[in-house]
Amino acid sequence: MAKRSGSSFGTFGKPEQFIPKGVTPIRTEFSRGSIPDSIYSSNREAAWTRWRRGFELYCNTVATNNYSYPFDYYIPLPPGTVIPPGSNPPKIPGIFQGFPTTNKELGMHWAGVRVAGSLRFDNVRDQDGDPSPILSVTEDEDYWYVTLSGDWDSSHPLPAPLFIPPVGPIPKQYPINGEILEDRIITVGGTPITKDTIDPTTQKRYGYIQAVLVSTDEVNGILKLQKQGSVEATPDGVFRTPATRPPNVGRYLMTGTRYCCSCQDFTRRDYAYMTGLGQGNQKLFPRTKVAAIKPGRYEVMRLNGVVDNNAMTSAQVNRQMEVVSPSPDYNIPPTITPNSSTVPGTLRDNPGVFRDFGATYLRSTPLPSLEGATSEGMPSYEDYGTTRNPDGSYTITSLTDFWEPLLDELRYCKHIYAMKFAEKVFPPEPSDIPVDIGSITAWEQSLVEKTNKENEKASYALMTRGLSMMDVPPYNCQAPMMMPMSQKLFNVPSTFVRMDGFRMFDKNGKEYNPSQGGSPGI
Amino acid sequence: MADFGEIVDGTFALSQEQIDIRKYGLSDIKASGIPTVYHAGDVVNLPYASGEISTCEAMGLAWGAFSSGITPT
Repeated sequence: MAKRSGSSFGTFGKPEQFIPKGVTPIRTEFSRGSIPDSIYSSNREAAWTRWRRGFELYCNTVATNNYSYPFDYYIPLPPGTVIPPGSNPPKIPGIFQGFPTTNKELGMHWAGVRVAGSLRFDNVRDQDGDPSPILSVTEDEDYWYVTLSGDWDSSHPLPAPLFIPPVGPIPKQYPINGEILEDRIITVGGTPITKDTIDPTTQKRYGYIQAVLVSTDEVNGILKLQKQGSVEATPDGVFRTPATRPPNVGRYLMTGTRYCCSCQDFTRRDYAYMTGLGQGNQKLFPRTKVAAIKPGRYEVMRLNGVVDNNAMTSAQVNRQMEVVSPSPDYNIPPTITPNSSTVPGTLRDNPGVFRDFGATYLRSTPLPSLEGATSEGMPSYEDYGTTRNPDGSYTITSLTDFWEPLLDELRYCKHIYAMKFAEKVFPPEPSDIPVDIGSITAWEQSLVEKTNKENEKASYALMTRGLSMMDVPPYNCQAPMMMPMSQKLFNVPSTFVRMDGFRMFDKNGKEYNPSQGGSPGI
Repeated sequence: MADFGEIVDGTFALSQEQIDIRKYGLSDIKASGIPTVYHAGDVVNLPYASGEISTCEAMGLAWGAFSSGITPT
Protein backbone atom coordinates (compact mmCIF):
# COMPACT_ATOMS: atom_id res chain seq x y z
CA MET A 1 0.00 0.00 0.00
CA ALA A 2 1.52 3.24 -1.10
CA LYS A 3 0.36 6.38 0.58
CA ARG A 4 0.95 9.79 -0.84
CA SER A 5 2.35 12.17 1.67
CA GLY A 6 1.62 15.83 1.93
CA SER A 7 -2.05 15.53 1.18
CA SER A 8 -5.06 13.90 2.73
CA PHE A 9 -6.88 13.83 -0.58
CA GLY A 10 -6.74 10.08 -0.96
CA THR A 11 -5.05 6.79 -0.38
CA PHE A 12 -4.07 4.82 -3.43
CA GLY A 13 -3.72 1.09 -3.49
CA LYS A 14 -0.90 -0.70 -5.17
CA PRO A 15 -1.95 -2.00 -8.59
CA GLU A 16 -2.71 -5.69 -8.49
CA GLN A 17 -0.51 -7.90 -10.55
CA PHE A 18 -2.47 -9.69 -13.24
CA ILE A 19 -1.83 -13.42 -13.25
CA PRO A 20 -3.63 -15.17 -16.09
CA LYS A 21 -4.09 -18.30 -14.05
CA GLY A 22 -7.02 -20.39 -15.12
CA VAL A 23 -7.83 -18.17 -18.08
CA THR A 24 -8.15 -20.21 -21.24
CA PRO A 25 -9.04 -19.21 -24.76
CA ILE A 26 -12.67 -19.54 -25.85
CA ARG A 27 -12.98 -22.68 -27.93
CA THR A 28 -16.75 -22.88 -28.35
CA GLU A 29 -18.56 -22.22 -31.59
CA PHE A 30 -21.19 -19.56 -31.99
CA SER A 31 -24.39 -20.39 -30.07
CA ARG A 32 -22.83 -23.45 -28.46
CA GLY A 33 -22.04 -23.31 -24.82
CA SER A 34 -24.25 -20.29 -24.34
CA ILE A 35 -27.99 -19.85 -24.00
CA PRO A 36 -29.68 -19.30 -27.36
CA ASP A 37 -31.74 -16.12 -27.51
CA SER A 38 -30.60 -15.25 -24.01
CA ILE A 39 -31.34 -11.53 -24.44
CA TYR A 40 -34.83 -12.28 -25.67
CA SER A 41 -35.37 -14.72 -22.80
CA SER A 42 -34.17 -12.19 -20.28
CA ASN A 43 -36.48 -9.56 -21.74
CA ARG A 44 -39.46 -11.90 -21.69
CA GLU A 45 -38.86 -13.00 -18.12
CA ALA A 46 -38.39 -9.41 -17.00
CA ALA A 47 -41.76 -8.57 -18.57
CA TRP A 48 -43.45 -11.42 -16.75
CA THR A 49 -41.81 -10.57 -13.44
CA ARG A 50 -42.82 -6.92 -13.78
CA TRP A 51 -46.42 -8.01 -14.31
CA ARG A 52 -46.37 -10.44 -11.39
CA ARG A 53 -44.73 -8.01 -9.02
CA GLY A 54 -47.46 -5.55 -9.92
CA PHE A 55 -50.04 -7.96 -8.59
CA GLU A 56 -48.19 -8.25 -5.28
CA LEU A 57 -47.98 -4.49 -4.98
CA TYR A 58 -51.68 -4.20 -5.77
CA CYS A 59 -52.57 -6.65 -2.99
CA ASN A 60 -50.30 -4.89 -0.56
CA THR A 61 -51.71 -1.47 -1.47
CA VAL A 62 -55.31 -2.60 -1.14
CA ALA A 63 -54.58 -4.19 2.22
CA THR A 64 -52.95 -1.14 3.71
CA ASN A 65 -54.46 1.74 1.68
CA ASN A 66 -51.64 4.04 2.69
CA TYR A 67 -49.79 6.77 0.83
CA SER A 68 -52.85 7.53 -1.28
CA TYR A 69 -53.36 11.24 -1.97
CA PRO A 70 -56.60 11.95 -3.88
CA PHE A 71 -57.01 15.37 -5.42
CA ASP A 72 -58.98 17.57 -7.75
CA TYR A 73 -56.78 19.69 -9.98
CA TYR A 74 -58.51 22.91 -11.02
CA ILE A 75 -57.16 23.83 -14.44
CA PRO A 76 -55.97 27.46 -14.48
CA LEU A 77 -57.58 29.53 -17.20
CA PRO A 78 -55.97 32.08 -19.51
CA PRO A 79 -56.41 35.73 -18.56
CA GLY A 80 -59.81 37.07 -19.46
CA THR A 81 -61.59 33.74 -19.25
CA VAL A 82 -64.43 33.93 -16.79
CA ILE A 83 -66.19 31.02 -15.18
CA PRO A 84 -69.90 31.79 -14.98
CA PRO A 85 -70.99 32.25 -11.35
CA GLY A 86 -72.35 29.11 -9.78
CA SER A 87 -70.98 26.82 -12.46
CA ASN A 88 -68.80 23.81 -11.86
CA PRO A 89 -65.08 24.54 -12.22
CA PRO A 90 -63.12 22.59 -14.86
CA LYS A 91 -61.17 20.03 -12.90
CA ILE A 92 -59.11 16.89 -13.23
CA PRO A 93 -59.77 14.29 -10.55
CA GLY A 94 -56.94 11.95 -9.65
CA ILE A 95 -54.71 10.28 -7.11
CA PHE A 96 -51.04 10.31 -6.29
CA GLN A 97 -50.23 6.84 -5.08
CA GLY A 98 -46.99 6.30 -3.21
CA PHE A 99 -45.09 3.04 -3.39
CA PRO A 100 -42.43 2.74 -0.69
CA THR A 101 -39.19 1.43 -2.08
CA THR A 102 -35.77 0.57 -0.80
CA ASN A 103 -34.27 1.37 -4.16
CA LYS A 104 -34.66 5.10 -4.05
CA GLU A 105 -32.99 7.64 -1.88
CA LEU A 106 -36.18 9.41 -0.92
CA GLY A 107 -37.83 6.08 -0.16
CA MET A 108 -40.87 6.46 -2.37
CA HIS A 109 -41.93 6.11 -5.96
CA TRP A 110 -44.90 8.29 -6.81
CA ALA A 111 -47.38 7.17 -9.40
CA GLY A 112 -50.10 9.42 -10.74
CA VAL A 113 -53.60 8.49 -11.81
CA ARG A 114 -56.03 10.66 -13.71
CA VAL A 115 -59.46 9.20 -13.07
CA ALA A 116 -61.54 7.99 -16.02
CA GLY A 117 -64.25 10.35 -17.24
CA SER A 118 -62.14 13.50 -16.81
CA LEU A 119 -62.61 14.48 -20.44
CA ARG A 120 -65.94 13.93 -22.14
CA PHE A 121 -66.68 14.37 -25.81
CA ASP A 122 -70.36 15.13 -25.32
CA ASN A 123 -69.27 18.78 -25.03
CA VAL A 124 -67.55 18.70 -28.44
CA ARG A 125 -69.67 20.71 -30.89
CA ASP A 126 -69.31 21.42 -34.58
CA GLN A 127 -69.71 24.79 -36.29
CA ASP A 128 -73.50 24.48 -36.08
CA GLY A 129 -73.41 23.77 -32.36
CA ASP A 130 -74.46 20.17 -32.83
CA PRO A 131 -73.00 17.44 -30.62
CA SER A 132 -70.56 14.93 -32.07
CA PRO A 133 -71.33 11.31 -31.33
CA ILE A 134 -69.56 8.54 -33.22
CA LEU A 135 -70.96 8.60 -36.76
CA SER A 136 -69.18 5.62 -38.30
CA VAL A 137 -66.15 3.38 -37.86
CA THR A 138 -63.89 1.72 -40.42
CA GLU A 139 -60.87 -0.40 -39.67
CA ASP A 140 -57.75 -2.06 -40.97
CA GLU A 141 -55.43 -4.58 -39.38
CA ASP A 142 -54.10 -2.31 -36.68
CA TYR A 143 -56.46 0.64 -36.27
CA TRP A 144 -60.06 1.80 -36.05
CA TYR A 145 -60.94 5.04 -37.85
CA VAL A 146 -63.72 6.74 -35.90
CA THR A 147 -65.60 9.52 -37.68
CA LEU A 148 -67.27 12.02 -35.37
CA SER A 149 -70.64 13.38 -36.43
CA GLY A 150 -70.55 17.03 -37.41
CA ASP A 151 -69.79 19.48 -40.15
CA TRP A 152 -65.98 19.55 -40.31
CA ASP A 153 -63.73 21.12 -42.91
CA SER A 154 -60.46 23.05 -43.09
CA SER A 155 -62.18 26.25 -42.00
CA HIS A 156 -64.04 24.51 -39.21
CA PRO A 157 -61.77 21.70 -37.96
CA LEU A 158 -62.21 19.63 -34.81
CA PRO A 159 -62.12 21.98 -31.82
CA ALA A 160 -59.50 22.24 -29.08
CA PRO A 161 -58.10 20.29 -27.37
CA LEU A 162 -58.40 17.72 -30.18
CA PHE A 163 -56.67 20.16 -32.49
CA ILE A 164 -54.80 23.40 -31.73
CA PRO A 165 -54.21 25.56 -34.84
CA PRO A 166 -50.69 26.80 -35.54
CA VAL A 167 -49.75 30.18 -34.14
CA GLY A 168 -46.75 31.87 -35.76
CA PRO A 169 -43.73 29.58 -35.41
CA ILE A 170 -45.62 27.20 -33.13
CA PRO A 171 -46.85 24.28 -35.26
CA LYS A 172 -50.32 22.80 -34.95
CA GLN A 173 -50.78 20.55 -31.95
CA TYR A 174 -52.82 17.49 -31.08
CA PRO A 175 -52.71 17.31 -27.27
CA ILE A 176 -55.27 14.53 -26.98
CA ASN A 177 -53.28 12.10 -29.11
CA GLY A 178 -52.12 9.41 -26.74
CA GLU A 179 -55.18 9.53 -24.53
CA ILE A 180 -57.08 6.34 -23.75
CA LEU A 181 -60.64 6.70 -25.02
CA GLU A 182 -63.75 4.74 -24.06
CA ASP A 183 -67.22 4.81 -25.65
CA ARG A 184 -69.07 4.93 -22.32
CA ILE A 185 -71.41 7.90 -22.70
CA ILE A 186 -74.75 7.06 -24.24
CA THR A 187 -76.44 10.47 -24.19
CA VAL A 188 -75.30 14.08 -23.83
CA GLY A 189 -74.77 14.73 -20.13
CA GLY A 190 -75.41 11.09 -19.31
CA THR A 191 -73.67 9.08 -16.62
CA PRO A 192 -70.83 6.91 -17.94
CA ILE A 193 -71.88 3.29 -18.19
CA THR A 194 -70.05 0.53 -16.38
CA LYS A 195 -69.36 -2.95 -17.65
CA ASP A 196 -72.52 -4.09 -15.85
CA THR A 197 -74.91 -1.37 -17.06
CA ILE A 198 -77.90 -2.90 -18.83
CA ASP A 199 -79.54 -1.39 -21.88
CA PRO A 200 -83.24 -1.11 -20.95
CA THR A 201 -84.31 -1.53 -24.56
CA THR A 202 -82.56 -4.86 -25.05
CA GLN A 203 -82.14 -6.05 -21.45
CA LYS A 204 -78.53 -6.82 -22.28
CA ARG A 205 -75.37 -5.15 -21.04
CA TYR A 206 -74.18 -2.26 -23.16
CA GLY A 207 -70.50 -3.14 -23.11
CA TYR A 208 -67.83 -0.75 -24.35
CA ILE A 209 -64.28 -0.66 -25.61
CA GLN A 210 -61.13 1.15 -24.57
CA ALA A 211 -58.41 2.12 -27.04
CA VAL A 212 -55.62 4.66 -27.43
CA LEU A 213 -56.02 7.62 -29.77
CA VAL A 214 -52.92 7.76 -31.95
CA SER A 215 -53.72 10.47 -34.48
CA THR A 216 -56.39 12.99 -35.38
CA ASP A 217 -57.67 14.16 -38.77
CA GLU A 218 -59.10 17.52 -37.81
CA VAL A 219 -60.41 18.38 -41.27
CA ASN A 220 -62.53 15.27 -41.68
CA GLY A 221 -63.30 14.70 -38.01
CA ILE A 222 -61.63 11.29 -37.88
CA LEU A 223 -59.94 9.81 -34.82
CA LYS A 224 -57.53 6.92 -35.33
CA LEU A 225 -57.68 4.44 -32.45
CA GLN A 226 -55.13 1.74 -31.91
CA LYS A 227 -56.12 -1.92 -31.58
CA GLN A 228 -52.91 -2.63 -29.74
CA GLY A 229 -53.60 -2.85 -26.03
CA SER A 230 -57.33 -2.23 -26.49
CA VAL A 231 -59.79 -3.62 -23.95
CA GLU A 232 -63.40 -4.68 -24.43
CA ALA A 233 -66.09 -4.95 -21.78
CA THR A 234 -68.23 -7.64 -23.33
CA PRO A 235 -72.01 -8.08 -22.99
CA ASP A 236 -71.12 -11.01 -20.72
CA GLY A 237 -69.69 -8.50 -18.25
CA VAL A 238 -66.07 -9.50 -18.60
CA PHE A 239 -63.01 -7.74 -19.93
CA ARG A 240 -61.04 -9.10 -22.85
CA THR A 241 -58.06 -7.79 -24.75
CA PRO A 242 -57.45 -6.93 -27.53
CA ALA A 243 -61.01 -5.78 -28.21
CA THR A 244 -62.86 -7.79 -30.83
CA ARG A 245 -65.15 -5.04 -32.04
CA PRO A 246 -64.95 -1.30 -32.76
CA PRO A 247 -66.44 1.54 -30.69
CA ASN A 248 -70.23 1.78 -30.84
CA VAL A 249 -71.80 4.17 -33.32
CA GLY A 250 -73.97 6.82 -31.69
CA ARG A 251 -72.06 7.01 -28.43
CA TYR A 252 -69.81 9.74 -27.08
CA LEU A 253 -66.20 9.12 -26.15
CA MET A 254 -64.58 9.92 -22.83
CA THR A 255 -61.09 9.41 -21.46
CA GLY A 256 -60.15 6.28 -19.58
CA THR A 257 -57.82 6.06 -16.61
CA ARG A 258 -54.44 7.63 -17.35
CA TYR A 259 -51.32 6.54 -15.51
CA CYS A 260 -47.86 7.92 -15.09
CA CYS A 261 -45.04 6.98 -12.76
CA SER A 262 -41.86 8.60 -11.53
CA CYS A 263 -39.91 5.36 -11.05
CA GLN A 264 -36.71 4.58 -12.91
CA ASP A 265 -38.27 1.65 -14.71
CA PHE A 266 -41.07 3.66 -16.30
CA THR A 267 -39.09 6.80 -17.07
CA ARG A 268 -35.94 4.82 -17.91
CA ARG A 269 -34.04 7.43 -15.98
CA ASP A 270 -31.58 6.71 -13.23
CA TYR A 271 -31.63 9.01 -10.25
CA ALA A 272 -28.50 10.43 -8.77
CA TYR A 273 -27.97 9.49 -5.15
CA MET A 274 -26.69 12.03 -2.72
CA THR A 275 -26.22 9.53 0.08
CA GLY A 276 -25.15 5.91 0.10
CA LEU A 277 -28.24 3.85 0.76
CA GLY A 278 -27.63 1.36 3.51
CA GLN A 279 -24.31 2.99 4.33
CA GLY A 280 -25.38 5.35 7.03
CA ASN A 281 -25.28 8.96 6.03
CA GLN A 282 -22.37 8.74 3.64
CA LYS A 283 -22.40 11.63 1.18
CA LEU A 284 -21.80 11.10 -2.50
CA PHE A 285 -20.43 13.68 -4.88
CA PRO A 286 -22.94 14.36 -7.68
CA ARG A 287 -21.42 13.48 -11.00
CA THR A 288 -22.42 11.89 -14.26
CA LYS A 289 -20.42 9.28 -16.06
CA VAL A 290 -19.27 10.49 -19.45
CA ALA A 291 -20.72 7.37 -21.05
CA ALA A 292 -24.17 8.34 -19.78
CA ILE A 293 -24.11 11.77 -21.38
CA LYS A 294 -25.70 11.80 -24.81
CA PRO A 295 -28.11 13.89 -26.89
CA GLY A 296 -31.71 14.13 -25.86
CA ARG A 297 -34.28 16.29 -24.15
CA TYR A 298 -34.34 17.09 -20.48
CA GLU A 299 -36.04 19.50 -18.15
CA VAL A 300 -34.72 22.46 -16.23
CA MET A 301 -36.62 23.73 -13.20
CA ARG A 302 -36.36 27.39 -12.47
CA LEU A 303 -37.69 29.60 -9.74
CA ASN A 304 -37.69 33.27 -10.71
CA GLY A 305 -35.24 32.47 -13.48
CA VAL A 306 -32.78 30.62 -11.25
CA VAL A 307 -32.28 26.86 -11.53
CA ASP A 308 -33.91 25.20 -8.54
CA ASN A 309 -33.81 21.44 -8.05
CA ASN A 310 -35.14 21.23 -4.52
CA ALA A 311 -37.34 18.23 -3.82
CA MET A 312 -39.58 20.22 -1.54
CA THR A 313 -41.26 23.53 -2.13
CA SER A 314 -43.82 25.64 -0.44
CA ALA A 315 -47.39 25.35 -1.67
CA GLN A 316 -47.23 29.06 -2.49
CA VAL A 317 -44.33 28.68 -4.93
CA ASN A 318 -44.63 28.01 -8.65
CA ARG A 319 -41.57 26.92 -10.56
CA GLN A 320 -41.19 27.07 -14.31
CA MET A 321 -40.24 23.96 -16.25
CA GLU A 322 -38.40 24.25 -19.54
CA VAL A 323 -37.80 21.27 -21.80
CA VAL A 324 -34.39 21.70 -23.38
CA SER A 325 -34.02 20.08 -26.76
CA PRO A 326 -30.91 19.82 -28.94
CA SER A 327 -31.06 21.02 -32.47
CA PRO A 328 -31.87 18.08 -34.76
CA ASP A 329 -28.98 18.97 -37.04
CA TYR A 330 -26.48 18.94 -34.21
CA ASN A 331 -23.50 16.97 -35.41
CA ILE A 332 -21.78 14.44 -33.23
CA PRO A 333 -18.08 14.58 -34.05
CA PRO A 334 -16.77 11.23 -35.25
CA THR A 335 -13.67 11.45 -33.11
CA ILE A 336 -12.64 13.32 -30.04
CA THR A 337 -9.65 15.53 -30.59
CA PRO A 338 -7.94 18.01 -28.31
CA ASN A 339 -9.94 20.67 -30.09
CA SER A 340 -13.31 18.92 -29.70
CA SER A 341 -15.89 20.70 -27.64
CA THR A 342 -19.43 20.07 -26.55
CA VAL A 343 -22.22 22.45 -27.30
CA PRO A 344 -24.09 23.53 -24.17
CA GLY A 345 -27.66 22.31 -24.18
CA THR A 346 -27.17 19.45 -26.58
CA LEU A 347 -26.11 16.80 -24.11
CA ARG A 348 -28.21 15.81 -21.14
CA ASP A 349 -26.65 16.23 -17.77
CA ASN A 350 -28.29 17.20 -14.53
CA PRO A 351 -25.83 16.20 -11.81
CA GLY A 352 -27.38 15.56 -8.45
CA VAL A 353 -30.79 14.85 -9.98
CA PHE A 354 -30.36 12.26 -12.70
CA ARG A 355 -27.38 9.99 -13.19
CA ASP A 356 -28.56 8.74 -16.57
CA PHE A 357 -31.45 9.88 -18.75
CA GLY A 358 -31.50 6.52 -20.51
CA ALA A 359 -33.50 5.42 -23.51
CA THR A 360 -37.08 4.16 -23.70
CA TYR A 361 -38.89 0.86 -24.00
CA LEU A 362 -42.17 0.91 -25.87
CA ARG A 363 -45.01 -1.55 -25.63
CA SER A 364 -45.65 -3.63 -28.68
CA THR A 365 -48.31 -5.99 -29.85
CA PRO A 366 -47.80 -8.37 -32.71
CA LEU A 367 -50.76 -8.70 -35.08
CA PRO A 368 -53.55 -7.40 -32.83
CA SER A 369 -56.25 -8.28 -35.37
CA LEU A 370 -55.57 -11.99 -35.31
CA GLU A 371 -57.70 -14.33 -33.25
CA GLY A 372 -55.96 -15.14 -30.00
CA ALA A 373 -53.48 -12.30 -30.26
CA THR A 374 -51.83 -11.26 -27.04
CA SER A 375 -52.30 -7.73 -25.81
CA GLU A 376 -48.62 -7.20 -25.27
CA GLY A 377 -45.51 -8.50 -26.89
CA MET A 378 -41.85 -7.87 -26.33
CA PRO A 379 -41.11 -4.19 -25.79
CA SER A 380 -39.06 -2.36 -28.36
CA TYR A 381 -35.96 -0.38 -27.45
CA GLU A 382 -35.78 3.19 -28.69
CA ASP A 383 -33.08 5.82 -28.48
CA TYR A 384 -31.85 8.69 -30.57
CA GLY A 385 -31.05 7.95 -34.20
CA THR A 386 -28.22 9.27 -36.35
CA THR A 387 -27.03 9.17 -39.94
CA ARG A 388 -23.43 9.21 -41.01
CA ASN A 389 -22.41 12.18 -43.10
CA PRO A 390 -19.92 12.05 -46.00
CA ASP A 391 -17.34 13.81 -43.86
CA GLY A 392 -17.60 11.08 -41.25
CA SER A 393 -19.63 13.02 -38.72
CA TYR A 394 -23.09 12.02 -37.55
CA THR A 395 -26.32 13.98 -37.60
CA ILE A 396 -29.18 13.33 -35.20
CA THR A 397 -32.28 12.32 -37.13
CA SER A 398 -34.67 11.34 -34.36
CA LEU A 399 -35.07 11.60 -30.61
CA THR A 400 -37.14 8.90 -28.99
CA ASP A 401 -36.73 9.81 -25.38
CA PHE A 402 -38.90 10.60 -22.39
CA TRP A 403 -40.85 13.27 -24.30
CA GLU A 404 -41.35 11.51 -27.60
CA PRO A 405 -43.60 8.49 -27.01
CA LEU A 406 -47.22 8.90 -26.10
CA LEU A 407 -47.84 8.16 -22.45
CA ASP A 408 -49.58 4.85 -23.06
CA GLU A 409 -46.90 3.72 -25.49
CA LEU A 410 -44.29 3.36 -22.78
CA ARG A 411 -43.80 -0.04 -21.21
CA TYR A 412 -45.63 -0.29 -17.91
CA CYS A 413 -43.72 -0.54 -14.67
CA LYS A 414 -44.86 -2.72 -11.79
CA HIS A 415 -46.53 0.27 -10.14
CA ILE A 416 -48.75 0.93 -13.15
CA TYR A 417 -49.43 -2.78 -13.40
CA ALA A 418 -50.50 -2.67 -9.74
CA MET A 419 -52.98 0.10 -10.47
CA LYS A 420 -54.29 -1.62 -13.57
CA PHE A 421 -54.94 -4.66 -11.40
CA ALA A 422 -56.81 -2.31 -9.07
CA GLU A 423 -58.82 -1.06 -12.03
CA LYS A 424 -59.79 -4.68 -12.68
CA VAL A 425 -58.67 -4.26 -16.25
CA PHE A 426 -56.77 -7.40 -15.47
CA PRO A 427 -53.51 -7.00 -17.32
CA PRO A 428 -52.89 -10.21 -19.22
CA GLU A 429 -49.61 -11.97 -18.80
CA PRO A 430 -47.15 -10.37 -21.16
CA SER A 431 -45.39 -13.70 -21.55
CA ASP A 432 -45.32 -17.20 -20.18
CA ILE A 433 -43.96 -17.99 -16.76
CA PRO A 434 -40.19 -18.34 -16.91
CA VAL A 435 -39.40 -22.00 -17.52
CA ASP A 436 -36.54 -22.23 -15.07
CA ILE A 437 -38.41 -20.72 -12.18
CA GLY A 438 -39.08 -24.09 -10.51
CA SER A 439 -42.10 -24.47 -8.26
CA ILE A 440 -44.51 -21.62 -8.86
CA THR A 441 -46.05 -22.18 -5.43
CA ALA A 442 -42.76 -21.88 -3.65
CA TRP A 443 -41.77 -18.91 -5.78
CA GLU A 444 -45.01 -17.06 -5.14
CA GLN A 445 -44.88 -17.76 -1.41
CA SER A 446 -41.38 -16.39 -1.38
CA LEU A 447 -42.51 -13.37 -3.40
CA VAL A 448 -45.35 -12.57 -0.99
CA GLU A 449 -43.02 -12.70 1.97
CA LYS A 450 -40.37 -10.74 0.15
CA THR A 451 -42.81 -8.02 -0.92
CA ASN A 452 -44.19 -7.69 2.58
CA LYS A 453 -40.73 -7.56 4.10
CA GLU A 454 -39.45 -5.04 1.57
CA ASN A 455 -42.45 -2.80 2.03
CA GLU A 456 -42.03 -2.86 5.79
CA LYS A 457 -38.35 -2.03 5.43
CA ALA A 458 -39.04 0.65 2.85
CA SER A 459 -41.80 2.20 4.94
CA TYR A 460 -39.46 2.33 7.93
CA ALA A 461 -36.73 3.94 5.84
CA LEU A 462 -39.24 6.42 4.44
CA MET A 463 -40.46 7.40 7.87
CA THR A 464 -37.03 7.76 9.42
CA ARG A 465 -35.18 9.34 6.52
CA GLY A 466 -37.19 9.95 3.35
CA LEU A 467 -39.83 12.24 4.78
CA SER A 468 -37.16 14.42 6.32
CA MET A 469 -35.89 15.21 2.84
CA MET A 470 -39.06 14.99 0.80
CA ASP A 471 -42.63 16.00 1.28
CA VAL A 472 -45.81 14.43 0.01
CA PRO A 473 -48.11 15.58 -2.80
CA PRO A 474 -48.77 18.28 -3.71
CA TYR A 475 -45.74 19.85 -1.98
CA ASN A 476 -43.31 17.71 -3.95
CA CYS A 477 -45.10 18.13 -7.27
CA GLN A 478 -42.50 20.59 -8.49
CA ALA A 479 -39.56 18.29 -7.77
CA PRO A 480 -37.52 17.57 -10.91
CA MET A 481 -38.84 14.04 -11.08
CA MET A 482 -42.46 14.99 -10.32
CA MET A 483 -43.20 18.01 -12.48
CA PRO A 484 -42.66 16.22 -15.81
CA MET A 485 -44.94 13.49 -14.50
CA SER A 486 -47.63 16.00 -13.51
CA GLN A 487 -47.45 17.66 -16.92
CA LYS A 488 -47.81 14.34 -18.73
CA LEU A 489 -50.56 13.16 -16.42
CA PHE A 490 -52.72 16.29 -16.55
CA ASN A 491 -51.96 16.87 -20.24
CA VAL A 492 -51.89 20.64 -19.91
CA PRO A 493 -48.85 22.82 -20.66
CA SER A 494 -46.36 22.89 -17.81
CA THR A 495 -47.06 26.59 -17.28
CA PHE A 496 -50.60 25.54 -16.38
CA VAL A 497 -49.44 23.13 -13.65
CA ARG A 498 -49.65 25.39 -10.63
CA MET A 499 -49.76 24.70 -6.94
CA ASP A 500 -52.88 26.78 -6.40
CA GLY A 501 -54.77 24.37 -8.66
CA PHE A 502 -54.56 21.49 -6.19
CA ARG A 503 -57.43 20.63 -3.91
CA MET A 504 -56.54 17.66 -1.77
CA PHE A 505 -58.78 15.31 0.17
CA ASP A 506 -57.92 14.03 3.61
CA LYS A 507 -58.73 10.62 5.07
CA ASN A 508 -62.25 11.71 5.84
CA GLY A 509 -62.87 12.97 2.32
CA LYS A 510 -62.69 16.59 3.43
CA GLU A 511 -61.27 18.98 0.81
CA TYR A 512 -58.45 21.38 1.64
CA ASN A 513 -56.42 23.88 -0.34
CA PRO A 514 -52.68 23.69 0.47
CA SER A 515 -51.87 26.93 -1.39
CA GLN A 516 -54.09 28.77 1.09
CA GLY A 517 -52.62 27.05 4.11
CA GLY A 518 -55.15 24.25 4.24
CA SER A 519 -54.14 20.99 5.84
CA PRO A 520 -55.70 17.56 6.32
CA GLY A 521 -57.88 16.92 9.33
CA ILE A 522 -56.47 15.01 12.26
CA MET B 1 -78.60 9.15 -12.21
CA ALA B 2 -75.40 10.17 -10.48
CA ASP B 3 -74.78 13.78 -9.49
CA PHE B 4 -71.93 15.90 -10.79
CA GLY B 5 -68.57 14.74 -9.46
CA GLU B 6 -69.79 11.43 -8.08
CA ILE B 7 -67.89 8.23 -8.62
CA VAL B 8 -70.03 5.96 -10.76
CA ASP B 9 -67.72 3.01 -11.12
CA GLY B 10 -65.22 2.11 -8.45
CA THR B 11 -63.20 -0.97 -7.84
CA PHE B 12 -61.79 -0.25 -4.42
CA ALA B 13 -64.18 -2.41 -2.47
CA LEU B 14 -64.11 -1.93 1.29
CA SER B 15 -65.73 -4.37 3.67
CA GLN B 16 -68.49 -3.14 5.94
CA GLU B 17 -66.11 -3.52 8.86
CA GLN B 18 -63.57 -1.30 7.16
CA ILE B 19 -66.19 1.32 6.41
CA ASP B 20 -67.60 1.17 9.93
CA ILE B 21 -64.37 1.46 11.86
CA ARG B 22 -61.93 2.55 9.15
CA LYS B 23 -59.61 -0.28 10.02
CA TYR B 24 -57.17 -0.99 7.23
CA GLY B 25 -55.15 -4.16 6.87
CA LEU B 26 -53.29 -5.02 10.04
CA SER B 27 -53.46 -1.49 11.34
CA ASP B 28 -55.15 -0.76 14.64
CA ILE B 29 -55.66 2.85 13.67
CA LYS B 30 -59.31 3.76 13.58
CA ALA B 31 -60.93 6.86 12.21
CA SER B 32 -64.40 8.12 11.62
CA GLY B 33 -65.94 9.55 8.48
CA ILE B 34 -66.10 8.41 4.90
CA PRO B 35 -63.10 6.90 3.11
CA THR B 36 -60.89 9.01 0.89
CA VAL B 37 -62.35 10.09 -2.40
CA TYR B 38 -60.68 8.59 -5.46
CA HIS B 39 -58.86 5.34 -6.00
CA ALA B 40 -57.14 3.90 -9.04
CA GLY B 41 -59.75 2.56 -11.44
CA ASP B 42 -62.58 4.90 -10.44
CA VAL B 43 -64.81 6.51 -13.05
CA VAL B 44 -66.20 9.93 -12.28
CA ASN B 45 -69.33 11.64 -13.59
CA LEU B 46 -68.49 15.16 -14.86
CA PRO B 47 -71.35 16.27 -17.14
CA TYR B 48 -70.78 19.99 -17.60
CA ALA B 49 -73.91 21.87 -18.52
CA SER B 50 -74.21 24.23 -21.46
CA GLY B 51 -72.49 27.53 -20.67
CA GLU B 52 -70.03 25.99 -18.23
CA ILE B 53 -66.33 25.60 -19.06
CA SER B 54 -65.77 21.88 -19.11
CA THR B 55 -62.48 20.15 -18.36
CA CYS B 56 -62.18 19.40 -22.06
CA GLU B 57 -62.69 23.06 -22.99
CA ALA B 58 -60.32 24.28 -20.28
CA MET B 59 -57.64 21.95 -21.54
CA GLY B 60 -58.15 23.33 -25.04
CA LEU B 61 -57.93 26.90 -23.75
CA ALA B 62 -54.70 26.04 -21.94
CA TRP B 63 -53.02 24.54 -25.00
CA GLY B 64 -54.28 27.35 -27.22
CA ALA B 65 -52.90 29.92 -24.79
CA PHE B 66 -49.60 28.05 -24.64
CA SER B 67 -49.26 28.30 -28.43
CA SER B 68 -49.73 32.04 -28.14
CA GLY B 69 -47.27 32.35 -25.29
CA ILE B 70 -49.95 33.23 -22.75
CA THR B 71 -49.62 32.02 -19.19
CA PRO B 72 -52.37 31.81 -16.58
CA THR B 73 -52.84 34.70 -14.21
